[in-house]
Amino acid sequence: MKRDRGATFLVAAALCAASLCIIVVSVASGPRLLNPFSMDSETCRTLLAIRLPRTAVAILMGGALGASGAILQGIFRNPLADPYILGISSGASLAASFGLMFGISLFTLSVPLLAFAGAIATGMAVVILGHGWKGLQPERLLLAGVGIGFFLSAVLMLVMTISVDDGLRRAILWMSGDLSLVDWGVLPVGLFFILTGFGLAFTRRKGLNALTLGDDIAHSLGFNPTRERLFLFIAASLMTAASVSMGGVVGFIGLVVPHVVRRHVGSDASVVLPLSVVAGGTLLCFADAVGRTVAAPLELPAGVIAALIGSPYFIFLLGQRKTH
Amino acid sequence: MTMLEFANVSFSYGSKRFMDQMSFSVAEGELVGLMGPNGAGKSTILKLAAGLLSPQMGKVMVGKRAIGSFRGQERAKLVAYLPQILDLQAPFRVGELVRMGEYPQEGSQALTVDEALHIVGLHGKTKTHIADLSGGERRRAYIAMTLVQGARVLLLDEPLASLDIKYQFDLYRLLKDIVREKGVSVFMSLHDIGMGAMLDRLLLVKDGQLIAQGEPGGVLTDEIVRNAYDLNDSIDLYMATNNTVCRALAAASLQ
Repeated sequence: MKRDRGATFLVAAALCAASLCIIVVSVASGPRLLNPFSMDSETCRTLLAIRLPRTAVAILMGGALGASGAILQGIFRNPLADPYILGISSGASLAASFGLMFGISLFTLSVPLLAFAGAIATGMAVVILGHGWKGLQPERLLLAGVGIGFFLSAVLMLVMTISVDDGLRRAILWMSGDLSLVDWGVLPVGLFFILTGFGLAFTRRKGLNALTLGDDIAHSLGFNPTRERLFLFIAASLMTAASVSMGGVVGFIGLVVPHVVRRHVGSDASVVLPLSVVAGGTLLCFADAVGRTVAAPLELPAGVIAALIGSPYFIFLLGQRKTH
Repeated sequence: MTMLEFANVSFSYGSKRFMDQMSFSVAEGELVGLMGPNGAGKSTILKLAAGLLSPQMGKVMVGKRAIGSFRGQERAKLVAYLPQILDLQAPFRVGELVRMGEYPQEGSQALTVDEALHIVGLHGKTKTHIADLSGGERRRAYIAMTLVQGARVLLLDEPLASLDIKYQFDLYRLLKDIVREKGVSVFMSLHDIGMGAMLDRLLLVKDGQLIAQGEPGGVLTDEIVRNAYDLNDSIDLYMATNNTVCRALAAASLQ
């Protein structure tokens, strides 16, 4: 057992070290390479106003999506569950796109706030529809989420077909996980909800492990499955909503990152949750750095790059997994 | 000392009365079997005993208290329940699974993870994935979790189902050891008449009613079994052969 913990600690330390390196590279790279040893006023301005908030948002978003994916895969007992399967992102996308396409911008945070409100409202609707006579059953919750997600996506497509061109382009960029417009303004609210969601999930990590074995065994271990599932669902919804509201829809991180983490450190949520935050944050940070560097001055959305990196790796992972 | 008691328990699914005024008990350190045809109510009885279902009338008592009066962790220290179908794709390693038994105990568990794995014979498989275990090993890993949990009453829903004869006897021997050495009460449903004949006591149910209980010799008679399973032909020869084979294998297994 001690040897297991030692190996886990080593993996965690290596991941944190790699994460730090990627963060430094991410801050320095872009259309204009910043030299940290030669800081003039222009460099300082670029660093403080553009690179640092963008890197911070990428880390927060990726971390939130990684942890949300780990939670949802556990409570649904489904390895293909991710933060977007429950319709939460569709709700956020619809609300934010509505704001972008019809020019609702009363103040600078209108779009993030609309996205957050849309995500939370969708999450609540999923919980209400997913609650049957036996409590919050995973299958019912999942079907409610998928159904609501399809409906909202259909409404979104309808809205997009009747919108004006400029708003449509901005909405498409936003839905691809575009971090080019983020600034310090979106950080406090996003950070607050992500920390709240993560804190809630981490206090329920034992319940998450138990739910992964099924409701009957979770009950046998002293947990109330419906209550644990509700708290964990709220935690995942808060983190997903905060993530989507800060920088749009970023796919695959929530699906792939928990699997990669489990592969290296096992499935105990006490370890998987924090390491999914680190790995998810690092991946999105890396994807964003690649997206703004490879085709500079053109910027490719971080969500697209993350999916381009994530998809082949996920397929590779499927090929590797013979039994578990 | 009585560990589990059903006192005039009635239970309905919706408006349909399924179980009426059922009473029985399981003593400390007793290995009791629950038999009956499919749909007779075996799983319902075990779920009532685990507190997963609540009776409409009567009481299910564990120790001296009604099962419904326990808080989650209190209940988990006394009663553990393992369903018939255990998750084949649970993403955990054996060590991670068994360590979950510590959750209700908060550092005061009856057995360490290593001790429990040793008892069930999986001490070399801490890092093995649950999905890579055989059916019998998987069942033993879950039982190790309940040993760490320290439960005094172990409720098992058809633990022998889909196991070959070697794993059946391995599991029988393990349960016998737990009952004898730890004083745990085991209450399990099963279909195998030969295995049932080797338990301390048997309950036979049909259509939600208890139709016989007592020592296996008194319950597994030709007349009672034919009535329970609606059989027309005598099963004396079947039971005699089955019992002889099972007892011989059990004797060899326990040596």
